[in-house]
Formats: sequence, C-alpha cells, structure tokens
Amino acid sequence: MDSMLSRFAEAQVKCLGYDLSHTLSPDLSYENLRAVYKSCNAHDVKAVIKRGIQNSIQNSVAGSQVVGGQLPKEEVQGWVEVYHAYWKAVGELLAIQESSTTNGKSSNSSWSTIYESWKELLSALIRGYLSHGFEAWTVPCLYVAGRHLRVFAIKADTERSNNMSLESTAEANFEDDFNPESEKNQMLEDCARQLNRVFNLCLSDRAPIDQSRKWGIYYVINLLFKTYFKLNSASLSKNILKALSAGRGDMPALESFPKSQQVTFKYYEGVLCFLEENYVEAEKHLTKALDMCHKDALKNKELILTYLVPCHLLTTHTLPSQKLLEPYPRLQKLFLPLSRHIRKGELHAFDLALQEGEDEFVKRRIYLTLERGRDIALRNLLRKVFFAGGFEEPKAEGGKPVRRTRVPIAEFAAAISLGSQETLDNDEVECLLANMVYKNLMKGYIARERGMMVLSKSGAFPGTGI
Amino acid sequence: MMPTWPPVPPPPGTQPGSAYSTPSYQTPAFTPVQVRQSFGQPYSASQPYPSHNFGPHPPHVPQPQTNYPPNVITATAPTSEPPKKKIDWPESVRNYVQRSFLPAHLDESVTRQEMEAKLKETISQANDSGVMYTINWETMPLPQQMIQEERSRVRAVAKPMLTLTPNKKSPAVPQLASLSLSSKKRKSWDVAEAEAAAAAATPPPWRSNTIGRLEDRVTFSPADKRLAAEETTSKNLSKSQKQMEKRQKRFDGGYKSTYRSPSPPPSNGPVVGTCQDLEKRYLRLTSAPVASLVRPEPILRQTLELLKRKWKKEQNYSYICDQFKSMRQDLTVQRIRNEFTVEVYEIHARIALEKGDLGEYNQCQTQLKALYQMGIKGKPIEFKAYRILYFIHTANRTALNDALADLTPAEKEEKAIKHALNVRSALALGNYHRFFQLYNDTPNMGAYLVDMFVGRERLAAMCNICKAYKPDVPLRFVTEELYFESDADAAQFILDYNGQELLEDRDGKILFLTGKAGVLFEDARATAFSRIDIKGQI
Repeated sequence: MDSMLSRFAEAQVKCLGYDLSHTLSPDLSYENLRAVYKSCNAHDVKAVIKRGIQNSIQNSVAGSQVVGGQLPKEEVQGWVEVYHAYWKAVGELLAIQESSTTNGKSSNSSWSTIYESWKELLSALIRGYLSHGFEAWTVPCLYVAGRHLRVFAIKADTERSNNMSLESTAEANFEDDFNPESEKNQMLEDCARQLNRVFNLCLSDRAPIDQSRKWGIYYVINLLFKTYFKLNSASLSKNILKALSAGRGDMPALESFPKSQQVTFKYYEGVLCFLEENYVEAEKHLTKALDMCHKDALKNKELILTYLVPCHLLTTHTLPSQKLLEPYPRLQKLFLPLSRHIRKGELHAFDLALQEGEDEFVKRRIYLTLERGRDIALRNLLRKVFFAGGFEEPKAEGGKPVRRTRVPIAEFAAAISLGSQETLDNDEVECLLANMVYKNLMKGYIARERGMMVLSKSGAFPGTGI
Repeated sequence: MMPTWPPVPPPPGTQPGSAYSTPSYQTPAFTPVQVRQSFGQPYSASQPYPSHNFGPHPPHVPQPQTNYPPNVITATAPTSEPPKKKIDWPESVRNYVQRSFLPAHLDESVTRQEMEAKLKETISQANDSGVMYTINWETMPLPQQMIQEERSRVRAVAKPMLTLTPNKKSPAVPQLASLSLSSKKRKSWDVAEAEAAAAAATPPPWRSNTIGRLEDRVTFSPADKRLAAEETTSKNLSKSQKQMEKRQKRFDGGYKSTYRSPSPPPSNGPVVGTCQDLEKRYLRLTSAPVASLVRPEPILRQTLELLKRKWKKEQNYSYICDQFKSMRQDLTVQRIRNEFTVEVYEIHARIALEKGDLGEYNQCQTQLKALYQMGIKGKPIEFKAYRILYFIHTANRTALNDALADLTPAEKEEKAIKHALNVRSALALGNYHRFFQLYNDTPNMGAYLVDMFVGRERLAAMCNICKAYKPDVPLRFVTEELYFESDADAAQFILDYNGQELLEDRDGKILFLTGKAGVLFEDARATAFSRIDIKGQI
C-alpha cells in the first residue's frame, strides 16, 4: 500500500497520468494483491490511505525540484475514495484467486462481485472529476478503470451463463417480452452504460482545451465501440459519432491524439461505414487506418484488410495481390480462391468458393459484400466472349481492325450457362446483361427484337482497357 | 371480472364495457347467485366509497359446466383438509390450510363455511391449472383475507349500481362496516392489492373446478338452480330486477372488457391466473399482474380455439389483435413458455402478416426467435424464412447477416428458407428475372412480405430495362418479366410514373419505348429504396 501510494504521490507531483494510472491496475501478482489488501483492514483503510497520500506527497515534493505543494483537501478526499474502492476490489480479486488456487468450492467472491466493486472504483473516479476537482492529466486512470471494467463484465457474463441453468431470472419482469440475448450480456450492457458515463464526462468538459478531459475521449470511444460490437449492437456506435460530430467544434483534432487511438478509431469508423454499405467512405477510413498502423501490428492490419479488401472489390473492382496478402495466411485463405475465380470469370467456381467460405464470411460480416463480386466475375466472362467474337471485316482497305460489337445474346447465354453450369433462358441472360449495363460494367444496349447485344465501339467494358 | 354479484343490467341492446358486439355463445349452466349481491348494493347506497370507481363491471363469462352454490359445498367439504379425490396434497398446501384455521388468523366476520368454500376453491383451482406444486403457498393470502378483499371490492363497485337498484335493503350492512375497518388495519395490503386479492378470490367455488367433477355436477346443478331461486324470492327481489337478471344472462356470453386496479404491489414469482373468461381486452400493464385477471393455460387454450373460429368467420383484425395481445400478456406474466405459447405467437404473427401489421408481427417474431432458441418446438423454418424476407424488405443488412449466421446447413436446404435465400441473392445480384419467378412461387405466407417490396423491385427492374434495352420492348415483355397480372396492369404502372409518352401502339402491338425513358424511374426508385420501415424493428 505504501509503495503504491508513494508511486501515486510521485506521479501526482510530476503530473504523469500514465504512471498514476498504473497504481490502479488490477493486474498484480497474487503476492502484490495480498500485500496491498493486507496492509490495512476495513476499519482503518480510509485513514491509512489519507495519511499515506499526505505523507508521501510531502516526501515527493521535498525530494524533487518540481514546485508542487500539497494537493487541495477536496482532491485528497476524492483520491481517498478512489483508493478505498480500489482496495475493496483488490480484496475481491484476491478472494477469487484464493478460491481458484485452493479449489475451494464456493467463496463469496465471483466475477460479478468483482465487476460491482470495480464499478464502484469507476464511479469514485467519475465523482472525483465532477466534484473533487481531479485534473485532466489524470484521465489515464479512467482508461485503466474502463478497460478492466469491460474485461470483468465479460468474465461475469460467462460465469453467469455457466451457472445459468440453475437459477431462473427471478426478478419481476412484466414486459411483454423477454430476451435471452440481453440476459446473456447483462453485465456487458451495464458496462456499456458506465462507459457512456465516462464518454459524457469527457465530452462535456468545458475547461480550456489544454486542461480538458476531452483528451480522454477517443480512448473511451474506442472502448465503447469495442463493447458495442461485442454486444452485437454496432449501430449504437452511431450515437457516439453523432455526439462527437455535434461537439466537434471545440474538440482537439483527431490527428493530435496518440496514433494508436487514431488507428483504432478509424478502423471502427470504417467498419461502421462498411456495414452501412457506404463503401466509398469505408475505404477512406480503412485506408487511413492501414497507413497509420504500426508496421509490426500484423493482427491489426489483418483486421483492417478484412474489410478493406471487399471494399476495393466493389469500389474500384480491384483484387488483392498475392504480395499484399503474403504475411496473412488467414486472409489468403479467405480471399485468394475468390479472387482467382473472379479474375478468370469462373462463375461456377466462384459460387462454390463463396459457399465454401460462407460461414467464415458471414461471421466477419463480409459475405453480402463479397457476393457482389460475382458481378465482376460475370463481367470478365462476358469480356472473354467479346474477345472471342474477333474483329469485323475492315471497312476500308488497311483500316484499323474493329472488334465485332454486335454480339448475339445466344453467345452470351452459352457462355453464362457453361460458366455457371446451369441452364439459363434467354430472358434471364438478358436480365443479367441489362444489369451489367445498368451498373456501368458494360457499355451498350440490348436490341431485343433482333436478339442482339450492341456494344459500344469505344470501351465496351469500362475500366478494363477495351 | 366479478361474477359474485349480478352485474349492472345494461340498457337494452348494449353490453356493458364492451367494444365488440357479438356474444360468442350462450352459457347454458350459469345461474346468477344472489348471495353477494346483498352485500354490496345497499351498503354503497348508504355509504359512498370514494376510492375506486370501477365503472360498469363486466359480468364473467362462465364455463358451461358445473354450478353449485357455496353453501352446498361447504356442507360436503372436509373441515381442515382439501376435499375429494385421493390426491396426495403437498405439505405446503396442508400448511396453508392449517394456517388458515389458526385461531390468531381467524376473522370473526368470516364464517367457517365461507372459509372452507374459499379454501376449496383456491386449492382446486391451483390443482386444476397444474400449479399446485409451483405456487408459493407461504405467501398466498388466507381465505378470510380473500373474502375480506372480495367484500371490499364489492363495495367499491357497488356505487354505480346504486342508481339502478336503490330500493334494496341488505342484512349485510353492519357486517360490512366492521369488515372495512378490519381490512384497513392491514397495512401491508393497500387497497389496490385488496382488490387484487378480492379478484383472486372471485371465481366462486361453484365454477372453480374447470375440469368438472361428475358427481358435483350431477348432484348440485339442480339444487343450485333451486337454491338460487329460493334466495331470490327470499330477498324479495322485485319483478323488474328478475327481468334484469334474465336479460343479463343473455349478455353473459358477450365479450367483456376487464378493468384492473392501477397499482397492485409487486409480487414475487410468476402469477398464476385464476380468470376464467375466454375473452379479455388488452391493457398494457403498468404494475404487477393480478391473478384474477389472468387466464391460466387451460382457459387460454380454449381462448385460442375461440379466436381461431372468430377470425375465420369475422376477420375483424382490431378485435383479434387486441385479443391476441392480451393472450400473450397472460402467457408472459405467468411465464408460460411452451409449445402452446409458440403456437399463439405463430398464429398472431401470421394474422398480423396477412394484415400488414408489421409492428405486431415484429413483436411476435422477436419472441418466437427466443422461444425457438429455448428449444421449444414450433415452425422455426417457416418463421426463419419470414425473417429473411422481412430483412430484405427493411434492407437491414446487419440483421440479414445475423439471420444468415443463425442458419444451420440443414436449415439452408429447407424449402422455405432456401426460397428466401434465393430471393435474397437474386435481389443482391439484381437478377429481377429470377426474383419475379421466385415471387410467383413463395411458400407459406411469405408472399405477404414479398408484396411489401415487390413494388420497389419493379421500379429497380424498370430502371434496368430502360437503360439497357433500345429502342423498345413489347409491353408484354414487361408484363411477363415483372410479373404483372396483365398488360393493363403493366401499362398502368408505367402511366403511374408519367410514362404515357412511352407507350405506343404499333400494328396492334403495344410497345414500350425504353430508349426514350431516360431516367424516368430513377427518382422513384431512389425514394422507394430510401424509405425503410422501422416499426418495432428487430
């Protein structure tokens, strides 16, 4: 406890937010947890903490050149509350570790009690900012509290669903409906609410920008996004973005935040656009995230590319190169077969590959996007038909040969039927051709009466060089 | 519902508290019993009770079954043990009965006979609805309490009767007055709960045995009538009152609305319903449910049959929807989640679908999804297919993705789901030709859903055709491709979007001049796709 508080004092005097936040970490070894918890008892804990804070700050001030001085009384009181809550949470953590090591049947401690006690810590911090005058540079404490709250919430939910079969949801519920999904994630949903409090705490700070809690906002947002995605309610993230853009005027620019926060934020922003089929925007955000991402953060890059590759397929009709995917075996497995079939215009093989990977694609929410790659495969197939049609008799002697631009529907029909290995009637083939034209993958028109597709003499297949 | 006193006779030709008219059936065996009536009316005449005015109170809809008066029962009922049948009563029930007769709990205003009748009723009801072992007998109000509440409830409702039966004298006045005092002493029971309990106590013993015991029926039915008649005469009912009662009987089969008190206190554990009405209006609960207003599962099963018949015959959606909502509510508050629950939700979902009521449909679907997940049998395939079609309609990609993730490989091969998936992929790839073929071939009631977006898909297809075909196509081609009923319909569709210039009669054949259409349908298409329904979005 003493060493913890002296680190606290050190950080307080030097205004080092991250150092300060480390003193609130629950990731301690069993011995350390024990040392902290046993250093005082429930009776005198507050007094011990208070004394500890005051003494150690005095020592630090004396031992450093920084002109600091004592913390205001108010603030000391706030920190006492915080460390008191921390001490209690440590007690719970200790209890669960003990029960798991001794394999004791049931201690009173469980992940949900840890969650609750950790929530107390977060609340104490929030109160500290609201009424004890905590300074903005201490926001990393919120990060630590928020990050672990989420972890504890997930653990508590898993724990509960394991015991679920026995206990029924006894609390009175007169709603017209019940929702097992939300029962499953009860704690995490509560966690999202807590994080939202932190978000608002940061957002609503009116202090001048260099002393503002607004500097904490992107970290909290990213935590919230992560939670919302886990809760399968990504759409809630939209509210955050809305609130953010409403207050954008007096918000520090994203570029001035730590890069790690920028990358995460851009990634989520991109995925959100992606889910709304706004592929152009998604591509922008994801590209930015990829560019800024640390070169060795392969896992993160892989996540970004998972969405960026399908984006490119739809926006620019481009496929990932072997080289791009080289460091990511998982992405290779995901995208390479499809890419190959698209490139060659192999409809049937494409369908099979899509089916093959369906579960994985659906899980990553890219199935519906990749499916549309079939258009590109079809375009490539039709393009082959066009090539196979050869050239018209040159009109003038020695004139430049002109490709045959009037292609019988029947030729396309044959190619499509062959390629997809199912028999399509001419009307359906026309429908597919009409789609190509409509989507600007092909230029020309269908002359139904004559059973002909008349292609443009210049650029029948835009963007492919002919 | 309050069957223990004769309800206010309605003006001729109307029904009290009912929005729906046709009485569903007559109740052959119901004989109003006069006993309680004598409590309330004169009392209220002399002393207005301000707290709860319930308005015209609906008479109950009795089951066509055994009726016997309470005093006959009490004669046969054993003193301290639940009656009849060699049933091994659970310990909790025995304790409950014993508790009732503890001297400390006895209430001098309630006779032993009344208590026994109430006990018998309560317990046999619990037994009949199969909750004997689940009910919390520890917290069950004692019979004397129930009777008290019942009486106070009678008082509360008596007021409106005042004007109609002002001339009646009752021997019960003094007794009631003392009762009201004693009930006030019980602090933990507020008025509302008192009513709740009264209501709980309401279904009188003579119709508590839903499953009807034969000997009872045989023995007591005639006696019941005779007794009732005797009582009537003994109380010197006026002729007009008798007529009123007679008339009342005619209305008993009708649909009656149910009133409930505004704030019963929360209970612990699910309610177990005691209400015997088949029909009940939906009222959004704002507080804990009241057992007497909740129908137990056996009754709900009868209700479902009744509603199915009615729907077939009358097709009155607002009535049906209201009824189904109240059924769902009763199921929910009693935490009944079984195949019957699924059936109720399925039927309501189908009916809502047929009527395009997406709000209700969605609520049902949400519940069905959860119920299927619990492993309760039903028609998950059919409804999963609907889900997919619905998400196509709302263009909700995230939900669509989730719905896909939810399917097992076996389910993907099921006809209805396969169809829905094909619809989805046809639309995703713009293959309107295939889409309209699938439209023609939609299983179950999916066509109601497809109907909701077929117009928008026609516009999209029209845009395609106008851009791709030159210079024209026969109108017949449009009719066939976009699956219009007739050329006239197709032409009308084009005219609706100001395409009159685009139709041309050439040699008796109508042509659609696609080459001149330009972007005629584009705007309409864009608006059609931008409107996304959000009613009760899942």
